[in-house]
Amino acid sequence: MTTTHSHLDEELQLLKTDTLNMWKLVRQQVEKGKEALIQHDKDLARQVVAVERRVNAYELKIDRDCENIFALFTPVAIDLRFVLAALKINSNLERIGDIAEGIARFVIDIDKQFDPELLKVARIVEMFDMSNAMLLDAAQAYEQEDTRLARTLFKKDEKLDEVNNEASYVITDYIKSHPDNIRESLHILSMIRKLERVGDQTKNIAEEIIFYIEAKVLKHKEPNK
Amino acid sequence: MMDSGKIHRRKQASQNFVFTLFTLMSASIVLVLFVILGFIVIRGLPAISWDFLTKMPEDGMTKGGIYPAIIGTFCLMLGSMIFAFPIGIMSGIYVHEYTKDGILKRFMKAMTNNLAGIPSIVFGLFGMSLFVNDLHFGDSILAGSLTLGLLVLPVVIRTTEESLKAIDNSFRVGSYALGATKLQTIRKVVLPMSLPNIITGLILSIGRISGETAPILFTVAAYFLPKLPHSIFDQVMALPYHLYVISTSGTNIVESRKMAYGTALVLVLIVLILNLLANVLRRYFGKKVKMN
Amino acid sequence: MVKDYVKKPKVMAKDVNLYYGDFHALKGITLSMEENTVVALIGPSGCGKSTFLRCFNRMNDLIPSTRITGYVMVDGKDINDRSMNVDELRKNIGMVFQKPNPFPKSIFENVAYGLRVNGVKEAKFIEERVERSLKQSALWEEVKDKLKKSAFELSGGQQQRLCIARALAIEPSVLLMDEPASALDPISTAKIEELIYELKNQYTIIIVTHNMQQAGRVSDKTAFFYMGELIECDDTKTMFTNPKHTRTQNYITGRFG
Repeated sequence: MTTTHSHLDEELQLLKTDTLNMWKLVRQQVEKGKEALIQHDKDLARQVVAVERRVNAYELKIDRDCENIFALFTPVAIDLRFVLAALKINSNLERIGDIAEGIARFVIDIDKQFDPELLKVARIVEMFDMSNAMLLDAAQAYEQEDTRLARTLFKKDEKLDEVNNEASYVITDYIKSHPDNIRESLHILSMIRKLERVGDQTKNIAEEIIFYIEAKVLKHKEPNK
Repeated sequence: MMDSGKIHRRKQASQNFVFTLFTLMSASIVLVLFVILGFIVIRGLPAISWDFLTKMPEDGMTKGGIYPAIIGTFCLMLGSMIFAFPIGIMSGIYVHEYTKDGILKRFMKAMTNNLAGIPSIVFGLFGMSLFVNDLHFGDSILAGSLTLGLLVLPVVIRTTEESLKAIDNSFRVGSYALGATKLQTIRKVVLPMSLPNIITGLILSIGRISGETAPILFTVAAYFLPKLPHSIFDQVMALPYHLYVISTSGTNIVESRKMAYGTALVLVLIVLILNLLANVLRRYFGKKVKMN
Repeated sequence: MVKDYVKKPKVMAKDVNLYYGDFHALKGITLSMEENTVVALIGPSGCGKSTFLRCFNRMNDLIPSTRITGYVMVDGKDINDRSMNVDELRKNIGMVFQKPNPFPKSIFENVAYGLRVNGVKEAKFIEERVERSLKQSALWEEVKDKLKKSAFELSGGQQQRLCIARALAIEPSVLLMDEPASALDPISTAKIEELIYELKNQYTIIIVTHNMQQAGRVSDKTAFFYMGELIECDDTKTMFTNPKHTRTQNYITGRFG
């Protein structure tokens, strides 16, 4: 029996393209947040805040598309899992978009350049890069239906957690030695907390990818160490 | 609690009884047919010879053949076909395809049924008074064919109607939907599809009239005429009438008894061959015009 | 001119009432359809959707004692007008029926039928048109080597696609489909649905269906009929996610009918 390329396939492809576009936008938001922080570029930060509206618009559109696909095509089996996964990936991406916006607002709130030493000891740039790399890997895993790549994300998330766990000690030490920079130090700590959330969200996305391709539910299970 | 085994056995028994009854009844019909055929074949076969089929009757119909009667019967069959088929088929089409359900259609149907119910001897009388006397056709093939044609007309109409009725309406509707007119639809879709049935029915009807005696009694049949007809205004001998004559009022009934069985066998064979032909044609057209 | 900016409806029904004898089968239906869209007519049995479909090629004329009031317009012309030639109209409005009804002819002659009854004689033209129609209905590859064979040798799904090809051969601009897949197996149904989706680019299609999912998959607009009335007509997406009337909601969610 030959499989035909159906109308539903077209709709699913469209949904995938939209999701990947949103993904790209969200990664740009995180990347711009990092740049804004390092350069202390308030304009760039404001841009991030503005673009967040586009991320939200994407979320609404993908939500609606999923709703329509459910209503009009009543997908089953892998098609059903794909749409369910798209729906959840969508909301995870939207959260990451919110996080990027939150980071940008911290940047806007501080009037002077962040102390490079603070950024260095807090390892925040490293965190940015790690979470962005995770987002990229996840997007690739989604695009190419690569569950092996998706599984690598669980390990990477642990590294983010590690930095996050050390952060409170590091920031406490820094504040002790730089009592003038308490506010910006606390902002950095908040950003670190947020970036850790990016890792969690990406991990959720990886679980959804594996769910839709392999029909395995990995949620709420300890990943193999 | 009821004993389900007992109930089952009782059900089974009544089933078996009824089925056996039905089987016996059907078997008895087949048996009767074989008895009649066997009787005629056994008595008639000794009379059959090439001479019997191709010679004129001789010696007051106690010797010779039945050639003119065979030819006469075929002439009458052909004549009534020419007359009855076009009229019958066309009115069948008219009644089924053109008249709407209503008074006219019901009237037409009642008339056809009534026509079919008239005894054949009445047709004979009517044929004699109209064709033979009033129209001055005399005792002739023409008068006989017209009378037989009248007799078979209701059968032709009914056969046509029934064959058309068997065609699912979706074919007509499908044709109209493509912009075809009613005439195109009938000619290109409905008729080709119903043709096998119509033809079969018609051949069977011809078989029926080949054996009719009463209608030809006063209109065409000759008691003894040892020559072939030259025109449609000639009289002819015909098998059923010949059979009647030599069995009841011949010059020597006992002598011609053998001839009578031979004649009967020929008549039966003609009908059987027609039935066979009907089946073959139905199968042939059936293949050509594939019904689901 | 201002008028030209407004997209004219391809097919329009305005205040259509239809009676079978004393039975009021359609009650004041007003509905318009744009070119190159698929409109699905849904509703419980006997709701009038098939009757409504047959208004567009005047197939109701074939049923005795029908009476119709209001306007049914195709390309801006009133098709019930005296000046309208009904055979010409049906040439322009193709129809596909619930049960595949190919004629007892060869595959080729089935598709050529519409051309022949409409007076086309040129053999080459007919040949080309038959091939094109069979390609359009995605049947060509399956039958190109047996065009002379009887249409009855095809499977049910193939027969239905043949009937679609037959309708397409006379180049209608509107295609009416009366439950075209209800007698077919799921694979054949899927093929017919894909076909409808493809044909939308060239035709305006009105389809009656009992299958809610089918309406969802193939149509742009959906009209819900109930007891001879048009209850609701809207974009299919809206109808299936947020219908305005409770009746519609009950029907499409399978809570009555």
